[in-house]
Amino acid sequence: MKTACRVLSAVVLMILAFIPNVAGAKDFVVKPPPASLDKFYPPQSKEPKWVQQMHKLSGSFGGVFVNMREGDWENAEKLAGQFVEAYKETSEMVPEWEEYFDLDAAKNFAETVKTRDGEKIGKAAGPVGKTCGKCHGDHEVSVWAKYHWPSFHEVKVIDPMDDKEVGFDKYMGSLSGAFKGVTVNFKEGQNDRAHKAARTFKTKYTELKSTCSKCHTTGDVQRFYVGEPVMAALSGLVDELGKDKPDPGTVWKNVGIVGKEGCKHCHLVHRPASFIKERWEEK
Amino acid sequence: MKPARILILFSLACGMAGLLACGTIYFLINKKHTWIPEKLVELARQPDLLENPTAKRCGECHEAIFKAWEKSRHARAWISETYIKDSENRSKEKCLPCHIPRAVKAGSKPEPRLTQRDEGVFCIPCHMADGKMNGPYALYSPPHPTRQNDAYRKAVFCGSCHEKTYKEWQAAGHESTCQKCHMPRAEGRLVQNPVLKYFHAPKEVADHGFPHGAVGAGEIGLSVDIKPDRVRVVLLNDTVPHHVPTADNGDPRLYLTVEQFDTAGEKLDRVREILAPQQETALMYKKEVAFTYPVERGARRVSVRLEYKPAWSTEKTEVHNKSFTVDF
Repeated sequence: MKTACRVLSAVVLMILAFIPNVAGAKDFVVKPPPASLDKFYPPQSKEPKWVQQMHKLSGSFGGVFVNMREGDWENAEKLAGQFVEAYKETSEMVPEWEEYFDLDAAKNFAETVKTRDGEKIGKAAGPVGKTCGKCHGDHEVSVWAKYHWPSFHEVKVIDPMDDKEVGFDKYMGSLSGAFKGVTVNFKEGQNDRAHKAARTFKTKYTELKSTCSKCHTTGDVQRFYVGEPVMAALSGLVDELGKDKPDPGTVWKNVGIVGKEGCKHCHLVHRPASFIKERWEEK
Repeated sequence: MKPARILILFSLACGMAGLLACGTIYFLINKKHTWIPEKLVELARQPDLLENPTAKRCGECHEAIFKAWEKSRHARAWISETYIKDSENRSKEKCLPCHIPRAVKAGSKPEPRLTQRDEGVFCIPCHMADGKMNGPYALYSPPHPTRQNDAYRKAVFCGSCHEKTYKEWQAAGHESTCQKCHMPRAEGRLVQNPVLKYFHAPKEVADHGFPHGAVGAGEIGLSVDIKPDRVRVVLLNDTVPHHVPTADNGDPRLYLTVEQFDTAGEKLDRVREILAPQQETALMYKKEVAFTYPVERGARRVSVRLEYKPAWSTEKTEVHNKSFTVDF
């Protein structure tokens, strides 16, 4: 009996352990968006028309509920009408995504708003909201990756050490190499080499201020990632390694600031989209 | 009276009358143009001059200014290869206001224009406002209305686009203005039209080629101090009352290269410093910047080279190139 209970408990535990996975498991494939979307984003379009269309949809749909809560039924009906128009317009923009749209559900929603019955409106909004959610779930990440982040492999950098123009990926590789040159040599007690590597790293790292400023047009971003604390840490690192007996505490502290405040912040923001694009471009 | 005598007297009278007429016109235009009847003024107007004429059209009278402008960076603001590349084929919106300004006004960033883009920063954006040609002189010009504006002699006018440089200049606290160095004046005439030019008194005319200031040994001081254990290089922007180099979005640079060699001429060390506005490392006015490097074991010679590269070119020019013997 005891054994049977143990076996049953183990089976129940196993089932329980798997429930979240089974329930939450979902294959998530990030495929490139259809080429027909290109014409709604720069450079083919002067403005990002697709995202503007999304704002139009979201503004009118959400606006219905804002007005409902305020008892402004006249404007709620007006926005519901605008939503149906925008919804239809959107459904015709990307032929490959036409199936996501349910025009009858959208029209029914607008008609229901006229009843001024909150409960009925909420029910009618459900199927429309689901069509939005389904499309966003399937494509939002890929659209952002493709159109809202630049392609780093198209960015060129003039290497300040030899004035040669290299691709961004290659440049980042050499930057990483210089950084490792600092840490590896310092660990080995090769302070002269570590010092030279730190000088090279500082020059190469500072070059990114020029490179990044081509997209980051406001100084705020540059100050944040390649700003005062990081620049001070870089100078501190070079100065400390230039001493006869560098203090390991100061060296590692500055290495940490550069790595965490500089490299990591930037990588956290940019690398996910870059990874996706790299995979798409793999042949 | 003999006919020949009559003819001579008549010619003299005509000549006198002509001179008197020219003198009167000269006097009226340069001294009392308000006396000229409005109806007469209207007859001399050329209406197309107020409808966004091309720079070439302006150059029909203002030939010298047009020729100088034609060679300037302003004329290449939209067609420069460097600009096209760095702006991703002119797609970056932030570049447009100053590369194709519609109307430049002192103290505010211009709006971009939709027409005549190939002309970049040309006559009309800077000089036409409220249906008049604006400039530093109060003068009368029959072909188009004019208006005098002191802003054309002030740095704030240039600062509407060259914002960072303007702020650097303000921080430098120097009395010289942008125009004094980059639009130097020389005695001349505003127009070169064979007839009209004589109706205006000669004036000091600003160079519309907007000459780039020199970046040479006279502008950037370099001193090198070598001790047994270290080389110290000090740079000083001693004469230019803004950062060197300077740019709002361009990427001009100074390259400092310090190399150490042994007795056989073998390179023991090479270090590069980039002094550039986009890296916030450009040389501030009258502020020394020092770099210190350890002397390599066996080093017998140290070379220090400073080169300049403008934003629009990949070519470098030498500012300093010095070599020192390490002898301790």
